[in-house]
Amino acid sequence: MNASSPLPTDSDAFRIAVRDFLSEALTPELIRAGKRTTSVFSDFEAGRQWQSILHQRGWGAPDWPLEYGGTGWDIQQRYIFQEECRQANAPTPVMMGIQMLGPMLMHFGTPSQKERFLPGIISGENVWCQGYSEPGSGSDLASLKTTADHDGDDFIVNGTKIWTSMAHYSDWIFCLVRTDKAVKPQAGISFLLIDMATPGITVKPFTSLDGEIEQCQVFFEDVRVPSANLLGQENQGWTVAKSLLEFERGGQHFTIDLKKQLSKVQQMMSSETCRGTADPTFAYRVAEAQIDVMALEQTELRIKGSLTAGDNPGALSSLVKVSGTELGQCCAELLIEAAGQSAIPWQSEVLAPSYNGSTAAASESVTTMAEYINSRATTIYGGTAEIQRSIIAKHVLGL
Amino acid sequence: MTMTEEQTMLWDTADRYLRDNADFNQRRDQIAKGIYNLPQKWQAFAEMGWLAMPFPESMDGLNFGLREIAILAELCGQYLVTEPLIDTLTVASSVLMRSEQAAALVPDVITGDLIAIAAIDEPTAESRLSPSSTLSQTESGWHLQGKKYWISAGASATHFAVLADSCNGLAWVLVAKDAAGLSCETFPTHDGKGGANCHFDLPINDDQILLMGDAAAEALSAFRECAMVVSSAETLGAAQAALDTTVDYTKQREQFGQPLASFQALQHRMANMLIQTELTRSLVYAACDAADRNAWDRGRFARAAKVKSAAVGRKVTQEAIQLHGGIATTDEYIVGHFFKRVTALETWVCSKGEALQEFMALDADKIASVGPA
Repeated sequence: MNASSPLPTDSDAFRIAVRDFLSEALTPELIRAGKRTTSVFSDFEAGRQWQSILHQRGWGAPDWPLEYGGTGWDIQQRYIFQEECRQANAPTPVMMGIQMLGPMLMHFGTPSQKERFLPGIISGENVWCQGYSEPGSGSDLASLKTTADHDGDDFIVNGTKIWTSMAHYSDWIFCLVRTDKAVKPQAGISFLLIDMATPGITVKPFTSLDGEIEQCQVFFEDVRVPSANLLGQENQGWTVAKSLLEFERGGQHFTIDLKKQLSKVQQMMSSETCRGTADPTFAYRVAEAQIDVMALEQTELRIKGSLTAGDNPGALSSLVKVSGTELGQCCAELLIEAAGQSAIPWQSEVLAPSYNGSTAAASESVTTMAEYINSRATTIYGGTAEIQRSIIAKHVLGL
Repeated sequence: MTMTEEQTMLWDTADRYLRDNADFNQRRDQIAKGIYNLPQKWQAFAEMGWLAMPFPESMDGLNFGLREIAILAELCGQYLVTEPLIDTLTVASSVLMRSEQAAALVPDVITGDLIAIAAIDEPTAESRLSPSSTLSQTESGWHLQGKKYWISAGASATHFAVLADSCNGLAWVLVAKDAAGLSCETFPTHDGKGGANCHFDLPINDDQILLMGDAAAEALSAFRECAMVVSSAETLGAAQAALDTTVDYTKQREQFGQPLASFQALQHRMANMLIQTELTRSLVYAACDAADRNAWDRGRFARAAKVKSAAVGRKVTQEAIQLHGGIATTDEYIVGHFFKRVTALETWVCSKGEALQEFMALDADKIASVGPA
C-alpha cells in the first residue's frame, strides 16, 4: 500500500493494512533491535532509522493532529497501530520529542516555534531529551535551581539536570529553569528549548544496573540561549510542565506490553530449553497476573471511552501509571522466575541488533534479567509511584 | 462500557429509592427482629419492575440483561440490602428462564409472591457441582432426598430451587418451603441476609422438575457465571461505599491536632483502595458486556471478575476498618457491615480459588485447541 491510498476505517482491515506495512518495512536487524529492547528505548540507531521509515510512510507521529503531520487516526486505530508495532517487534525510537514536547509546542508554541521545531521532531532528525530533575530536585521538582538570567536578548543558563534519558544522543533539550527566585517556587519557572551543541553544555553518562547507558547528567555553564527559545510565557513554565507530565503519563497503553510479557512467561513454562521453575504454585500467580492485566486493559479502555466523549482523564492517568508500572514489575518478576538460572548470563554485546551469534543464555531469556532490572526504574521516572498516589489522594479523593 | 440512557435511569431510580428506604439504622432494627425481607420494601422492588428484569416481554418481563442486574447488585452492596434480590434474579435469569415448567410461575415471581432461592450447598464444597442429594424415580413419580445447608437468603425463600442428581444427570427441582417432607431450619447470618438448612425427603411430581440432564447442567453453568458477576458487582458496590465512608471519616477525625486525612501514610493507603476498586469496576463491567459473547470469553471474564473482586473486596474493607480505628469494630458503625457482607459474598456459589482454577482451565483448553497466544 502506498502513502497516498486511504487507510480502511474498519478496525480489522486497518489492522491488516498496518500489519502488511510492518512486515514489508521491518528488516531483520530492526526486528532484532525490537526483540532485544530491555527498557523504554531500543538501540538508538535502530530506533532513529525506524522513525525515519515511519515518517516517510506518514506515520511518524500517529497521535498528532493532521495539520502537524499526524495521521488523524482515532483512538482505536492508534491503539491498534501500537499493538501491531509491538507484536511485530518494531524498535522503539526516542519519543520525548514526539510524545512530550510536540503536544506542548502545539499548545503553547508561537507559529514560528512550531514551524521551526515540529518538522525535525516528527522526522526523527532532531532528537530531544527532557531536562526536569536535578540532583536536589527529584519528587520536589518545583524546588529546581538551574537558573536562566536575562542578558540582552538572551538567557544565560547555569546549573545541572540529572536522569536525562538519552542526553548523550540528543540534539536538543527542553528544560525547566528558574527565572524568578523571589516568588513561590512554582511561579518562578520557565520552559526553555536549548540546542545541545551550545558552548558550555557537557554531558556525563551513567552506566545503569544492566550495564547500558541511558541516563545522563547534563551540566550548564554560562550557556547562552536566545529568548526566542522560551516556550510559553516567562515564569509560566510550571503550567507547561504539568501539562506535559499528564501527556507522559496518559495516552500510554501499558497492557500491550504486559500481555506480551505474560505470553513470554507462558512460552517459558512450556519450553524445553529454558523452563526455569518446577514450582507447582507458579501457574496460579501467572493466572492472577493475567487477571490483573485484564482489569488494567479494561480500565484503559474505560478511560479511552471517556476521552472520546470529551472528558479529561485527569488524575486517572496517575491510576493507570501506578497500576501499569507496578504490574509491569510483577510481570518482570514472573519472567525471571520462569527463566530461572537461564537468565544469569550478562553479555551486553548480544543485545546489539547487529549481533547474530550464539548466547550463553537461552534464546528466550536473553533480555529477561535486564528487563527485570530496568523495571525498577518505571515506578521512579515520570513522577514516582508515591507522587502518583499523592495526586490520586488529593485530586480524586479530595484528601 | 458506559451506561445507556435506560441503564442510567435504572441506576438513578434504584439509588434514590434505596437512599430513602434502606437506611442503615433501620436495617439494624430489621435484622435484630429477624426480618431479612421487609414486605413493603420487597413490594416496592416488585412495583419498580426489578423482579421482572430477566424475563422476556412476552412474559410481562423487562428483558434486561446481566448489566442491569449488576447495576442493582452494585447498589445492593452500597446500601447493604438484605432482601433476596440478587439471589432471586440469579435463579430467575439462569434456571427459571430455561424451564418450561417455570413459565406458569413467572407471574408470581414478578409480583414477588414466589421467592425461589437456589439450594446448592451441601457439607462438602464439591457438591456444588455434583450434588449428593438425589432425585429418584418411584412408581408414582419422583422422590427427592438429601440435605442442603447454609443457603444464603434461605430465610426469605418461599421456594427452593434444589440441585440434585438423578438417573438422567443433574436436576433442578422446585420445592415449596412449607411442603410436607421438607424440614427447614432458618437462622441469622453475619451479613444480615438470613440463611436456611434444609432436609428433603419428599415426593416430587413432574411439574416441580424445572430442568433435567443437559439442560440442568447448562443452567448450573449459567447460574454460576451469573452469580460470579453479580457477587462481583455487589462486592464492588460495598468496597466503593467502604472507601467513601473512610475518606469522609478521615477528613473529619482529628488526631495530633490535624485531620487523619492529612497524613501521607493514610492517604496512600486510600489511594490504593481507590486504584484497586476502579480496576475491579472495569472488570465487572467488562464481564457484563461479555455476557453476549462466546462461551469462552463470557466464562473467562466472569471468573476474572470473581477473582479480582474477592481479593479487592477483602482488602478494601479490611483497610476501611483499620483506617477508621476502634469505631469500625462496633456493630453500630456501618463500615464493619460492608466487611461482613463481602466476606459472605466471597464464598457464595463459587470461591475465589475455584474461580481461579476454572479460569486457568479455560486458558489451558484454548491453548490445547489453538496453540499458545
